[in-house]
Amino acid sequence: MTSRRDFLKTASAAALAAGTARPLLSWASGNSSAADSAYEHVAIAIPGKDGMIVRSARFLDLETPVESMTGWITPVNHFFVRNHMFEPERFDARKWKLSITGEIEKPLTFTLADLEKLPVHSVVNTMECAGNGRSLQNPKVPGIQWGKGAVGNARFSGPSLKTLLERAGLKQTAKHVQFRGLDQVPGKVPPFIRSIPIDKAMDADTLVATKMNGAPLTAHHGFPARAITPGWAGAASCKWLTEITVLDKPAEGNFMNPGYRLPNTPVKPGEAVKPEDTHSITALAVKSLIAAPSNDAKLKPGAHVIQGVAWAGEADIAKVEISTDAGATWNEAKLGKDQAKYAWRLWSYNWKPAKSGDYTILSRATDSQGRVQPEVPAWNPSGYLYNAYDQVKVNVQG
Amino acid sequence: MSKANFWKLKKMGAMILTLAFFSPPLALAGESSSDSNPGGQLPAGAMQEKAAEACSTCHEARIIVQQRLSKPAWTKEVDKMIKWGAIVDPKDRDAMIDYFSANFGPDQPAYTAPRTATASQSQTKNKK
Repeated sequence: MTSRRDFLKTASAAALAAGTARPLLSWASGNSSAADSAYEHVAIAIPGKDGMIVRSARFLDLETPVESMTGWITPVNHFFVRNHMFEPERFDARKWKLSITGEIEKPLTFTLADLEKLPVHSVVNTMECAGNGRSLQNPKVPGIQWGKGAVGNARFSGPSLKTLLERAGLKQTAKHVQFRGLDQVPGKVPPFIRSIPIDKAMDADTLVATKMNGAPLTAHHGFPARAITPGWAGAASCKWLTEITVLDKPAEGNFMNPGYRLPNTPVKPGEAVKPEDTHSITALAVKSLIAAPSNDAKLKPGAHVIQGVAWAGEADIAKVEISTDAGATWNEAKLGKDQAKYAWRLWSYNWKPAKSGDYTILSRATDSQGRVQPEVPAWNPSGYLYNAYDQVKVNVQG
Repeated sequence: MSKANFWKLKKMGAMILTLAFFSPPLALAGESSSDSNPGGQLPAGAMQEKAAEACSTCHEARIIVQQRLSKPAWTKEVDKMIKWGAIVDPKDRDAMIDYFSANFGPDQPAYTAPRTATASQSQTKNKK
């Protein structure tokens, strides 16, 4: 077997031979500048995923470039991917089964054909990873260093989870519904198991989805079926769903505690938080992003459209305001006509800069619950639910 | 390097990449540009090879090289990963924490992530 070092040499030689890259081995050869050598010029081929930012290829974590967030529905090839583990090996969908056990009257098993016989419900849901924006936290926290784009808006379809649970018959003791998927767990890593409270599970909009944007789920998005817990952080929407367990209390394990929890009260950046002073993340925060112009853009004088997206989990977007003078003054943006209960709103603002020079553009959303995107994010030890004003800097050329 | 040797090495590289990927949908096409991307690389240092070996069972180096953490934070991460199955000789633990802290501390410049190929890039490749 060839050593890793040989392999790296080989890979580098291949890249050079293909005329695509400078040496990838600059670190190994003594150049220690991270900024220089960490940059990889060569695109990574992930079939079905176009121009996505690769946070990790193994296991797969892909981010949507914010500049592509100009449409209401995010196409699957631009939808972010968050995996904690390895995706299931390819399997025969006809043999796939979904079991329901626990605090129910009658344990049930559904095949894909069984699911397809149930009434179909569709939900347009803005799904965001709880860790989206983590790289913007200060001080830095461990985890996938998401930029702005671990968020997307898609139409998910399938039976309501409620329909399945009603067939199984909930006992009085049913308090939480736990999901487990077919993802493969390496080493002694705790499995990705989480639960949602029974009220959310019995909401007709919570789905066992088999389709995304009208087509069967792709492997990266949980084929053949996934939970969709709309308006909540993505971790509540388990992929490759195969076990539903009704519990008399919240699920346990790493991904319920300490994972996916927020401090009960604000903490100072960098401060430690005791586990008993935390709660599980549920619905998403209010947030907006600027899709255009892009950061560091050089703009010609004249009229420009500032545009982007805004969402608020289970709440509605009430307004989006834009500042083109680093927060001194704010003006309301126009909201797009497309809307649905858990879906983001497009917004746009026509801007004609008065003179050439550098501008800091900010966006700030307010929701129907009165929540306002904050100037300073609420820091927490895992960098969850970052939602400070979005910001791009541009230069208008004379 | 002779041409024959080059192709032999290239083939071995592609084979390792294929083995390294668990899931068929992620398996990379032999001729794709991803051959040249071993998943981010760990910098030179006494712990380079041991760290690569301990971590790569579960994830690529890119997950490490994008972190910018203080020494206490790296200590927590290394201990968590050992608990989760990373095989690290107890006598290497401190050196590994030092290695990560020195190379991926809060003051290092940000890691720039690569992109996936676009559909048009993939099509061009298929036509070759």
